[in-house]
Amino acid sequence: MTQQPLVHLTGVTRNYRLGSVSVPALTGISIDIDPGELVALAGPSGSGKTTLLNLIGCIDKPDSGRIVIDGVDITAVPLNRLAALRRSTLGFIFQTFNLLPVLTARENVEVPLLLMGVPRKDRDERTSLWLRQVGLETQAGQRPDQLSGGQRQRVAIARAMVTRPKLVLADEPTANLDSDTAGRILDLLADINGRTGCTFVFATHDPALMARAGRIIHLRDGQVVTNHPAERQLAAAV
Amino acid sequence: MLAKIAVRNIFRNGRRSAITLMVIVFGAVALILFGGYRARTFFALRESTIRGRVGHLQVYKAGYSKARSQKPLEYGLDDPAALRKEIESVPHVKMTAAQITVMGLISNGEKSETFLATAVEPQKDRAMNNQRVVSGTDLPDNESDAVILGQGLAAAMNVKPGDYLTIMTTTVSGSLNAMDVRVAGIFMSGVKEYDDRAIKLSLLGAQQLLQTRKVEKLLIFLDDTDRTEAAHAEISQLFASRHQALEMKEWRELAPFYRQVVALYTGIFGFLGLVVFGIVVFSVANTIMMSIFERTREIGTLMAIGTTRARVWRMFLAEGLAIGVLGGILGVVIGAALGALINHGHVMLPPPPGYTVGYPLRIMLNPSVLLPALVVSIVTATISAVFPALKASRMKIVDALGHI
Repeated sequence: MTQQPLVHLTGVTRNYRLGSVSVPALTGISIDIDPGELVALAGPSGSGKTTLLNLIGCIDKPDSGRIVIDGVDITAVPLNRLAALRRSTLGFIFQTFNLLPVLTARENVEVPLLLMGVPRKDRDERTSLWLRQVGLETQAGQRPDQLSGGQRQRVAIARAMVTRPKLVLADEPTANLDSDTAGRILDLLADINGRTGCTFVFATHDPALMARAGRIIHLRDGQVVTNHPAERQLAAAV
Repeated sequence: MLAKIAVRNIFRNGRRSAITLMVIVFGAVALILFGGYRARTFFALRESTIRGRVGHLQVYKAGYSKARSQKPLEYGLDDPAALRKEIESVPHVKMTAAQITVMGLISNGEKSETFLATAVEPQKDRAMNNQRVVSGTDLPDNESDAVILGQGLAAAMNVKPGDYLTIMTTTVSGSLNAMDVRVAGIFMSGVKEYDDRAIKLSLLGAQQLLQTRKVEKLLIFLDDTDRTEAAHAEISQLFASRHQALEMKEWRELAPFYRQVVALYTGIFGFLGLVVFGIVVFSVANTIMMSIFERTREIGTLMAIGTTRARVWRMFLAEGLAIGVLGGILGVVIGAALGALINHGHVMLPPPPGYTVGYPLRIMLNPSVLLPALVVSIVTATISAVFPALKASRMKIVDALGHI
């Protein structure tokens, strides 16, 4: 039996308006991403990586084409009605961490569970578990401005993972980190992917991150240029 | 968590929040001081009108208020003693007082002036305590030919206590009658127009002058003004059960000046309230708008991780509410303290138009003044947040996340 893809895009197009001019960000994108994959979206700036990530993340709508996430055709569903899908199925990791500055690390991780209405006991257990997983148990009571960049990104990873999502979307997750910290974050993400079977999709410029990916989708000018397993592409590059 | 985020965000930009809180505190203090002054003025005017002049209720013979009688006391009460005994048996009735109004001429032998006399029971009149005797004594108990004069009239007649004057009026049968009276004292009520024409004499003296045993009306005094309507109903029922042809009026109908003052002050303070409301609304709305602008990316993040638009709206509304609660409580505490300070300072205000004496500035500080100030602060701040909160909740997630 063929495995149903977690993400299925067919002929997806997205244009942006710049004044009176319509600028194509994505043109005719058709890709499938299977459960458990670790996929890198690569390409130069303006190639459409973030736009594609936004569409998969149900925070933007395509102008045409069809998007199915975890068996749900979201193409015609208004964004606000996709809040529940985003809460339960998706996790987000941002380049600038995007933590709530007035909340502690623990409270930041807890927010998605609160949004889901998870009971307090379960919430506490899951929050503690993920703070432990990302190695921040002792910093749980600190606010983001008291944490280093790497620690903040760990909090963001814990926040993304605490709801046990099927798919985590990360936009340049290592771009604001030094190479050592970025390396440790990559180890952590690869480890989580290996242990939980959660699907990860990254938009990245970082060759180190691409090297960890199981598949690399290259984009240029809003179109898929290559879409192959990483070994093949990296070998071709060598 | 929503409340936690709201409260913590208030303290995030301390200086800006402090300014907003100051505006709310200013609004609440203004409401307490203006509202407390207004409430105190209404209360004092109401009670002085009731206890000094008109009573809580007045009883007349049926037809009195519509009659255009040419003769005095044509619609007088024939047997006031029996009637007042019945009325005084009603719970919460503290006392009744009979009165007659007499108009006529007063003369010192050289010149005459018109007068407006109120014939009273001296003991009851002293209990009403509605005038200040500035010279001589108050109306004596057992002297039917003694009078006290308003300050202006005494000056016009050029008399002092102990002097004699002649008063003249029409009797109940329509003939003229005159009586020599001794000036026992001179009083001032504070209202110049009244003091220029006023006389007080004993009920007995007036009945002798008018040649009757009737009284014009009975004033009913209660132990609590708030019981007026209930007492009115009970006494009306009493009259109906005894088939007595009587009519009754409440103090409010008999106090046009009080009604005018209430209408004027309500208009003035209503306008001031509107100005304060506007200042608070714009200030809080501005603060929340700036906060939203600064936190656009946070809003995008919250929505990306699954926060609904309604929840974002509630979050910013909660911030308005939290600012309102905090500012309202602070405002009530500061307003009450300032009010107490003013009351303690015995500040005198100049005489209002038509009056000859000033009056003390007093601020009423009770729940009916403090609670509305708190509620208005909270409601205003929350209302101020509605539009900014709506704006935040309608943001496009992608735009919000890309906001720098």
